[in-house]
Amino acid sequence: MRSKRFKVGVTSTIVAVLALTVTVSLASSAGTVGSGTASATKSVCGKGTGKKATGTPIKLGGIDMLIPGVDFTTIGKTAKAYFDCVNDNGGISGRPIKYTLYSEQLNPAQEAALARKLIESDKVVGVVGNTSFAECGTNWKYYKSKGYVVIGAGVQAECYSTPSFAEVNSGPRYSNVGAAQALIKAGAKKLAIASPDTISAYADGGPALVAKAAGIPVKIFPTHLPVTDATSQLLQMYQFAGDGGGILIDFTPDTAPAFMKAAEAQGIVDKVLWGSSTPIANTFMSGQFSPEFDGHLWIDNEFSNVDPKVGPDSALMFQVLSKYASKIAPQAFAQMGFLAGKFAVNALLSIKGPITAKSYNIAVKGLKNQKTDILCKPFYVGNLAYHIPNNTNIIVDYKNKNVVVRSGCTDFQAVDKSISQTRVWEKKYHLNGQ
Amino acid sequence: MNDLLAFSVFGVDWQFLKPFIVIGLAFGGVYALSGVGLVVLYRATGVLNLAFGAIGAAGALIAYYIVNHTSWPHWLAYTICIAFGGVTNLAYGMIFGPAFARRDALVKMMGTLGLALILLGLMAWRAPAGGAFARFLPLGTTQTRYEILKTSVSLTQIIAICLALAITAGVSIFLRVTSLGTAMRALANDRETTAMLGVPVRKVEAAAWFGSGLACGAAGLILPDLLTSLDYSALTFLVISSLAAALIGRLRSLWVTMFGGLAVGVAQSVLSPYTNVSAYRSAAPFVLAIVALLYLSRRRVVTFSRTAN
Repeated sequence: MRSKRFKVGVTSTIVAVLALTVTVSLASSAGTVGSGTASATKSVCGKGTGKKATGTPIKLGGIDMLIPGVDFTTIGKTAKAYFDCVNDNGGISGRPIKYTLYSEQLNPAQEAALARKLIESDKVVGVVGNTSFAECGTNWKYYKSKGYVVIGAGVQAECYSTPSFAEVNSGPRYSNVGAAQALIKAGAKKLAIASPDTISAYADGGPALVAKAAGIPVKIFPTHLPVTDATSQLLQMYQFAGDGGGILIDFTPDTAPAFMKAAEAQGIVDKVLWGSSTPIANTFMSGQFSPEFDGHLWIDNEFSNVDPKVGPDSALMFQVLSKYASKIAPQAFAQMGFLAGKFAVNALLSIKGPITAKSYNIAVKGLKNQKTDILCKPFYVGNLAYHIPNNTNIIVDYKNKNVVVRSGCTDFQAVDKSISQTRVWEKKYHLNGQ
Repeated sequence: MNDLLAFSVFGVDWQFLKPFIVIGLAFGGVYALSGVGLVVLYRATGVLNLAFGAIGAAGALIAYYIVNHTSWPHWLAYTICIAFGGVTNLAYGMIFGPAFARRDALVKMMGTLGLALILLGLMAWRAPAGGAFARFLPLGTTQTRYEILKTSVSLTQIIAICLALAITAGVSIFLRVTSLGTAMRALANDRETTAMLGVPVRKVEAAAWFGSGLACGAAGLILPDLLTSLDYSALTFLVISSLAAALIGRLRSLWVTMFGGLAVGVAQSVLSPYTNVSAYRSAAPFVLAIVALLYLSRRRVVTFSRTAN
């Protein structure tokens, strides 16, 4: 009798524990970000299994620049947030991604050392999420010698002219080209352009070519960071551009506000047409400068508008940031990191067999027709001499503290031969569905 | 009338140059204010305070957090910014002042450099630069603008210039009229003799540290508005232009320091539209300081002598 009671008690306890476990498991999986089945209306992290990856980690790494006035670590941090989401959703065949992010201070020796540390000491299979004013130039030969292709976000010329990088963004030169095109189309008769002095020759050279082709006087104002006299420089630019002219600023959200505040203080917001590259196309900035700048901005956005309603990838990015990197505001740098992480994971998932540096980088080169609502056209890498997959942008403005689209996806002007060659390759090799 | 004003200065239209003069005068006002604070402290204690900019920047950051993350009134944030300068300077002076009292000026100065680096490190730790934002500490007075000689001038710019004049005049009168001021001047002339005469040296020094710190806090409050961003590294290096102003005043004359500060600000700003030299305008403070020192010491005779063993 006693034994029967004991058996009933034990059985009841086991059933209760099992029921509780199943309930907790279901409840936790229902709340997991990035889980489920991917479809045209839903994006997931990796395989979206909702199960935590526990196997041997797959090592990835990245290098981002951090100097006074410019913080690119947001890109690597967002890539890491995406990897964390993938790790909570089955990882790569049960193996989690271990991502190591280093920051550098615009120091070529440091950049070279960190690349070698990542590949030779940390033994990462892939490099993802790099962004710097100078790292592409410093390390492209090294990456090439090791067979690595970095998926990141570029700034300088070597990011778009060597085989070692496949950048998810257009970079400042081409983003400025898009903004210059928009300003000239809007009626600007002169163009004053400012970028950080370290990248000015490359970044400002593109829009200068656009202005010259349109027969418009143009003047470049290389700017030393951190900016200590934004008002004086802005007045110089206004002197050149004149009423109705165009002022194009190419700065990150750490620096651009100094110029925009100065414009407000000097009362010249509505006297010129304001152009900008991508980094200020976010609601954090529009929240500060709307309504003063409403209707006065032509911002070239290399990505879709930062809005969860744009599509499933945008919605997932907002969820990933909210859960895994709540301090990062949704913005262009977050889009860059999210895309770099997503495409790196797609490359990893496509590998049949052991995941090594060789197999990962071959898989990266095999990426093509990677559709996402964050880009105008699908992303690709391919086995090319250089990669400029993001060559179609949109123009946005501020309105009622939001960012609104002025004009949809448009090819930016082929100011360099590499742009026209890229578009030839896209068609020839069917890289982005064309 | 317009035709009369239509002339150019070395190829730059006068009408276009005027806003740069206003900007320069406002910055110059802050340099002058800081320079006067530096000179007062140097005269009373023999310390050239290199932490001046860092203390002002830290005060401004505190005010920024109060304004943006609390419901406290803005005037309280501004008061705390200024008071932080006074209290931090006083605390440093009281803790490290006696230890450095008998050391030479270079050692005293390096002590304050240590304070600057500690504050800079604390600011970088607690309020790292970067991310998708920039910090601002705009003053309400910037919204009030006047048209003076067809140039837009903000009330903050006027305050910066007037404050420099008022502080210089006030401190000059204070040093001449009050007993504490007389004690400070006596300390500047001969520290040992003044102490022997029964002047409470520690109290007089404390007053100098505190007063100088208040000037530093005020500069830290105004400068982010003029810079249109609260960049603590830029604020920390405010001390360079202020030092140049103090050197122009030969670390003695408050009025020459004030005019030196204004000259430094105007020179830096007015050179901006001159494309050929604008890249070198950051050198303006010390070029001016060297020129002023050479000019002011033109009739001095320097005599060298050697004593045989």
